[in-house]
Amino acid sequence: MEIKAKLKQILIDELNLEDLSPEEIEDDAPLFGDGLGLDSLDAVELVVVVQKHFGVEIKDMEEGRPALQSISSLAAFIEDKQKG
Amino acid sequence: MQKQAEDKQQTKDPNWSSRSVGSNWQHQAFYLAIKLGGRRLAYLMLYFVVGYYVLFSRLARKRASHYLRRRFPQASGVQQLWHCYRLILAFGMVLVDRAVVGIMGSESFETCLEGREELLKLRDENRGLILMAAHVGCWQVAISALGFLQRPVHMLMRREDGDIDRHYYEHAGIECPYQIIDPTGYLGGTLEMLGALKQGHIISVMGDRLLGSDRSTAAVNFLGETVYLPFSAYKIASATGAPIVAFFTSKEGPVSYRLLLAKVIRVPELPGRSAETFRPFVAEFSAALENYCQEHPYQFFNFFDLWLTQPQEMSAHKE
Repeated sequence: MEIKAKLKQILIDELNLEDLSPEEIEDDAPLFGDGLGLDSLDAVELVVVVQKHFGVEIKDMEEGRPALQSISSLAAFIEDKQKG
Repeated sequence: MQKQAEDKQQTKDPNWSSRSVGSNWQHQAFYLAIKLGGRRLAYLMLYFVVGYYVLFSRLARKRASHYLRRRFPQASGVQQLWHCYRLILAFGMVLVDRAVVGIMGSESFETCLEGREELLKLRDENRGLILMAAHVGCWQVAISALGFLQRPVHMLMRREDGDIDRHYYEHAGIECPYQIIDPTGYLGGTLEMLGALKQGHIISVMGDRLLGSDRSTAAVNFLGETVYLPFSAYKIASATGAPIVAFFTSKEGPVSYRLLLAKVIRVPELPGRSAETFRPFVAEFSAALENYCQEHPYQFFNFFDLWLTQPQEMSAHKE
C-alpha cells in the first residue's frame, strides 16, 4: 500500500475518524484546524503512530511543523526519512 | 499586589482575567519598599493592603471563596473572612518573596528539597521529565532550585497582556532561566514538548489549569467535589515514557521554602485520547494536591473557580 493510503487508513483507525473513508480525506487538506479538524492531542498520537507504523521519528518542532501539514507533506517526510 | 494566577485561556468567561489586580504604581511601591526596607517592610505594607482588599473588594473575596468554602466547609461568615485574609496575605508574601529573589538575590532564602535522589534517578532514565506543578507556594523557587539536574527546563506558560507583575529574573535583569513554550502556539506547544522530552529535558506544566486552546479535561474529585483538570500532559507522558512528578513548594518560614516531590506518576503506553483513559492518572495528581492543601491550607493560589462546570460550558458562566 502506498504511504498516503496507509496514512489515511491509520488516521481513521487510530485517531477515531471512523465517520470518514480514505477517499474522503484529501491529500492536501490541512490535518489540523479547518481541514480534518485534528487538534494538539491528535498531533501527539500522530507522532506516535508514524513511529509505530513507519519506523520514522518526528523529533521536534522543526521537523514536525512542515511534516504535519497534510497527508501529502507527511507522506513525503516519511518517504524522505525512509530513504535517508 | 494581587495577581490572579490563572490563564485567560482557561475560560472565555468575560469576568475572568489573570491580570494583576493592583495598578502599576502599587506594584512599584512594593518594589521600592523592598529596595529601601527589604522583605520586612514589604510584608508590613501587605498586612494593611490585604486588609483593605479583603474588607472592600468583593471580587477578591469571591475569587478566594471558590477554594476556601471547599477547604473550610464548616466555617462561619466571619471565619471565612479570616481565612480569606490569611490566604491573600500568604499569596502577597509569596509575590514579595519572588521580587526579593530578583532584587536582592536568591541567597535571601533557604530552600529544602525533599526527593533530590529520586529526581536524579528519574533524570537518569533519559526519557525526559514532566514536572507537574500547581498554583501553590512559589513555583519560581522550584524552578530556580533545579540546577542540580543539569538539564534544560522548558516551561509551558503564557503571560497575559497587561500583566504588570514581574518575574524574579526580570527584577534581577537576567535572561529567563528557562525556555518558554507558548501554549497558544502551533498545536498548543505539544510538538515542542515532545521534542524536549525526547532530548531528556525537563518540562514544567501546571496540573491545575488549562492552557492555550486545550480543552482536554478529565473529571476528578478535589476537596469533595468534581473538578476538570487537563490531561494533555498525561497523554504526552504516555507517548514518550517520561515520568510525571507532582512537584510542589511551600513557604515554611519567613525566609525558607520547602520543595516536595509529592508523587511520581507513571503513565503506560495507552492508545487513544479519551478522558476516561487518563482519568486515573489525573486523579493521582488531584489526590496529591489535596494532601498538600490539607497540610498547607493557605498556600493554594488558584483563584479560578475550578469547580465551576465543564470547560466548554464555562463561556456561558457569569460571576
